[in-house]
Amino acid sequence: MEDLTKDRVEQLLNYIMKKCLWQFNSRAWDRRKQNAGILGQTAQLLCGETPVHETANDKCYWVDAVLLAREYRARFPWINELSHDEIKALIKALHERLDFLTIDGSLNEELTVQHY
Amino acid sequence: MPYHEFEASKCIPERKQHAVIKGPGEDLSHALPKGYLNTIPGSISERGCAYCGAKHVIGTPMKDVIHISHGPVGCTYDTWQTKRYISDNNNFQLKYTFATDVKEKHIVFGAEPLLKKNIHEAFDAFPEIKRMTIYQTCATALIGDDIDAIAQEVMEERPDVDIFVCNSPGFAGPSQSGGHHKINIAWINQKVGTVEPEITSDYVINYVGEYNIQGDQEVMLDFFNRMGIQVLSTFTGNGSYDGLRAMHRAHLNVLECARSAEYICDELRARYGIPRLDIDGFGFEPLSGSLRKIGLFFGIEDRAEAIIAEETAKWKPQLDWYKERLKGKRVCLWPGGSKLWHWAHVIEEEMGLKVVSVYTKFGHQGDMEKGISRCSEGALAIDDPNELEGLEAIEMLKPDVIFTGKRPGEVAKKAGVPYLNAHGYHNGPYKGYEGWVRFARDIYNAIYSPMHQLSNLDISKDEIPTDNGFLTRKMLSDATLPPEVVNDPILKQYDGKLDPIPDLRAKTYPVFPKKEPAPVAAE
Ligand code: SF4
Repeated sequence: MEDLTKDRVEQLLNYIMKKCLWQFNSRAWDRRKQNAGILGQTAQLLCGETPVHETANDKCYWVDAVLLAREYRARFPWINELSHDEIKALIKALHERLDFLTIDGSLNEELTVQHY
Repeated sequence: MPYHEFEASKCIPERKQHAVIKGPGEDLSHALPKGYLNTIPGSISERGCAYCGAKHVIGTPMKDVIHISHGPVGCTYDTWQTKRYISDNNNFQLKYTFATDVKEKHIVFGAEPLLKKNIHEAFDAFPEIKRMTIYQTCATALIGDDIDAIAQEVMEERPDVDIFVCNSPGFAGPSQSGGHHKINIAWINQKVGTVEPEITSDYVINYVGEYNIQGDQEVMLDFFNRMGIQVLSTFTGNGSYDGLRAMHRAHLNVLECARSAEYICDELRARYGIPRLDIDGFGFEPLSGSLRKIGLFFGIEDRAEAIIAEETAKWKPQLDWYKERLKGKRVCLWPGGSKLWHWAHVIEEEMGLKVVSVYTKFGHQGDMEKGISRCSEGALAIDDPNELEGLEAIEMLKPDVIFTGKRPGEVAKKAGVPYLNAHGYHNGPYKGYEGWVRFARDIYNAIYSPMHQLSNLDISKDEIPTDNGFLTRKMLSDATLPPEVVNDPILKQYDGKLDPIPDLRAKTYPVFPKKEPAPVAAE
């Protein structure tokens, strides 16, 4: 990853890690769903699309995505200059990094417990 | 993030896995303290037992209920004076504590008859109360008392009462957290779905993981009422027993303390399709974001925005008065579980404090992930510390104030550091916009109390000044502030009431007519 993208991913990641809670549900499968659900809709919103939410859970992801997209636009004005393809690529890289920190590279030994 | 070894715990090598320092450029994949494990023999920690977590944290804040401990009377220690979860029914659940007072002879011959006698006596003594929770303790669990059977017998004899049995004796987990888990699951298994509520709004929530410490729940309820949201139940502060039996009918679970109550939210999501929305009720920005999210979910964000604008305009100048005087003050944020992440970043951003350490007594690794992410570089994160480690950390980090429980708080005081009660609060509520200013005020009062000028002198060796005159907090805090800050016409000290809760209870709210039958949430 080139330095600029890496730096931008870290800025976006840092915001999530400091301000959000949704990425830290207590089981790996849940974190994976949360990360995908919220970041997926965040990318859509940043690209001007209207996410469709069929279930109440989707709608809940959408709520967090709306707040995140708004904060990203306000705090990181450079995001408004990017093309839709660039935004999608950036959020994809962010998603991978977030999955690593909260799931695949996490040292939390409770992530794989069978029950809640 | 290097693991940190305390001098005091060199003889307990496993302890090294329980503390880390957040290093520059490092992240959660480098190190994470262990958590939610049995306390290591030799380490005298500050945890509660699983019975305590079930009863004293989660069960007892329910307000219209007789709460009985089935066991020796000592198990009920944490009741009157250590808990501050008030309620709007004259604090019934705080004023009256019930225990079956199991003695040696009951251990030998069985304590079931004693339990039954106690249940009847309690219902007879308080005929207006028809709901009861019963808690298993170590002694009665070990002798095999069948509380369920007794509860069933009583419910048959008294058809107008309902009883909940919580089987979480002290040994049922490494700490109080085991009890949180057990009572969450027991409640949804036994009671949720057994009452059908009247739905009066298009927007219906359960407010979960909120214990009404000095009125926190009532502050948040005020916001929800102003938004026209029906709060079906609060799990459990100021919550009613029957309200909590109707949790299955909410459209959204708003979760505050995920540490103690995520289990029931996760189960409600799996069994009834009700989504879980985690929020932060502390601090202006996190609270505003939380209200916005709830507003967005229901399509009433404008109602949230109106509250945010009004409250921020009113209270921000007061918060900023304290921020100017708290800048750079060093804090050890040492609560029980969730406040380490609820508070870590926001007291730095909104009050100017510097968090030099976070710890948790009963948190899991997930809580440490949240807390470490939110605190700044250089902070020392400790899981389940013992008293000597706490003292060593105080010596090493030299905090100006410590936020912790009352027992470790007394230890901090002896080390010459003021403390604020992070569980029961000093002069709460601390939630809401006004509450956050009250917290800043309490921090200011603790740090700048002129008493420390004298109490921290050692009369056996220090020279005692006899020429010091009268001092006030303001004389101490404003001595080094630039005049434009001291004389700022906008900033001002907290001017709210001693107790803001009675006014909230007397308030009336606009009626938002219900539009149509509310949709039932589906997975
Ligand atoms: S550990 Fe057992 S005996 Fe001690 S307070 Fe808890 S329930 Fe009671």
